[in-house]
Amino acid sequence: MKINRRTLLSLLGVAPTALISSAAGSEQLKNKKKIAEAAGPTKIETLNPRGIPPAITLVPLAPRLASIEGKTIYLVSDGFPGADTFLNQISIWFKKNMPSVATVFRLKAGGFADDDPKLWAEIKDKGNAVIMAIGH
Amino acid sequence: MVTIAFKDLALTNAAKKGMPLERICFTPHPIWGKSEAEMYAYLEGNDPVRGIPLMKEVVDALTKPLTDDEKKTGVTTPSVGPPTYVDTADNLQKYYMDNGMTDFMPIILPTQEKVDAMLKGSSHHPDEVVGQLTPARGAFPAWQFTVKQVAINAVMAGAEPEYLPIILAIAASELPSLSSSTNSFATAAIINGPIRDKLNMNYGIGAMGPFNQVNASVGRAWTLLSKNLGNCGLPGETYLGTQGNVVEFNNLIIVENEKDSPWTPFHVQKGFKPDENVVSVFFGYGISQGQGGKGSAIKPVPQFDQGLLYNFTPLTSIFGAVAVLDPLVAKDLVELGYETKEKLSEWLQKNATLTVRDARTMLFTGGAALRGPQAAGLKDDDLIPRWPSTALINVVVVGGQTNPYYQVANMSYSKSVSIDKWM
Repeated sequence: MKINRRTLLSLLGVAPTALISSAAGSEQLKNKKKIAEAAGPTKIETLNPRGIPPAITLVPLAPRLASIEGKTIYLVSDGFPGADTFLNQISIWFKKNMPSVATVFRLKAGGFADDDPKLWAEIKDKGNAVIMAIGH
Repeated sequence: MVTIAFKDLALTNAAKKGMPLERICFTPHPIWGKSEAEMYAYLEGNDPVRGIPLMKEVVDALTKPLTDDEKKTGVTTPSVGPPTYVDTADNLQKYYMDNGMTDFMPIILPTQEKVDAMLKGSSHHPDEVVGQLTPARGAFPAWQFTVKQVAINAVMAGAEPEYLPIILAIAASELPSLSSSTNSFATAAIINGPIRDKLNMNYGIGAMGPFNQVNASVGRAWTLLSKNLGNCGLPGETYLGTQGNVVEFNNLIIVENEKDSPWTPFHVQKGFKPDENVVSVFFGYGISQGQGGKGSAIKPVPQFDQGLLYNFTPLTSIFGAVAVLDPLVAKDLVELGYETKEKLSEWLQKNATLTVRDARTMLFTGGAALRGPQAAGLKDDDLIPRWPSTALINVVVVGGQTNPYYQVANMSYSKSVSIDKWM
């Protein structure tokens, strides 16, 4: 049976004009794609999401001792578990290896990151150096 | 002196405090839990970072003259990179991820157009400073951030402009979702007020799960802005959580089901009016399920108070407790006589006790009860409260009433922030 082309297309749910359009459209799309590919991938500009860090004031290190023989070293714990025991071992090490070095143990006041001006003043007054155990 | 596990943290922090060349010596890790003999062996051995005898290094650190660089003074401003990036979308996705600016999932790229649209969600000026964030107060320098910078992170998270006031309020709480602690802490936010319905936030079925764009993107934004605006979440440097916490991806966003709750909404308990929009933030270990608690199977009214007490057992005392209840559980508790959240909190605080013997074996539990002059007379079988105050036990109602279930969080209330202020 000969089927009318228009009838066949309508059975397929496609209008003839749609087919013609889609054929032309497909060609246009191919051309656009070729042009885009020739131009290279599209670049976009995006924003930096980061916040504002504070300025850093450089702090020079404290002057060093010519020698620690005969000096007093403060051994300071910031409170992390085990730091006091570890610092005591340092004290024992000095007694065995550098007996002229005196050591003084102190637990810093407050939380781990809290300042302890009273302790720093004591060290400045009575000590020559500090070894601080930070953890962990 | 610092253990090797914290090398990057120690060096970076010293630099941020203005002493990039501070003389730091490293020991093997850990110190905690080692015997005296083991600790002494550390001293007799080498610094594991530099490979030189440790105590010789210590003595040298105290005696070798300072270099010119170690004597430097002045001010420097750390760079966070250029204000914009230009590349293909795929390359930009990789760039943001490789530079620690994401949660390792694809983001919505924050173009100027998208950020401008986001900024329409708030009447506040883009350059207004919202607050500051730090991975841990006192230990790390705090970074400041503006409304625009929050908006950029909100775009990245997939939020819509209407959600921006909630995200700004969370940012303004100055509670980062990524703390530096080795504990892998988590954060939560309870949302109250008419904004919940205005934005169709989810406080029903699956409320704390991946089922709503607002809930999801607000929580995600908190993680992204903590990383980018507070310099949080850099493993080994500003994040030392030994295992991490799954809550950290999206945080615990709890939109209270005020409609089906028999009790006062959380924000009203904190002094706000019912029609105010408020976010209340929490901090602690996270959340766990409550099914299986003692008393839950009793009929006709399950003994949910006993169940909560049972599920409080593994919670520490360094954080409070939050009872996160489906409305069905809340209604059953009213039938048991708890006409208010406060009455429930009081009963739970009074009855959440443990023996001194048990408390002394547990990390972070027992708290103030085990310290101070009052602790001197305590005997092993004496009972002490897990939490010294009712204020440490909070209650929130959320869920879709498909079953009377609940969850418990070991978290402390931090503060409540007005969302309306940021509209």
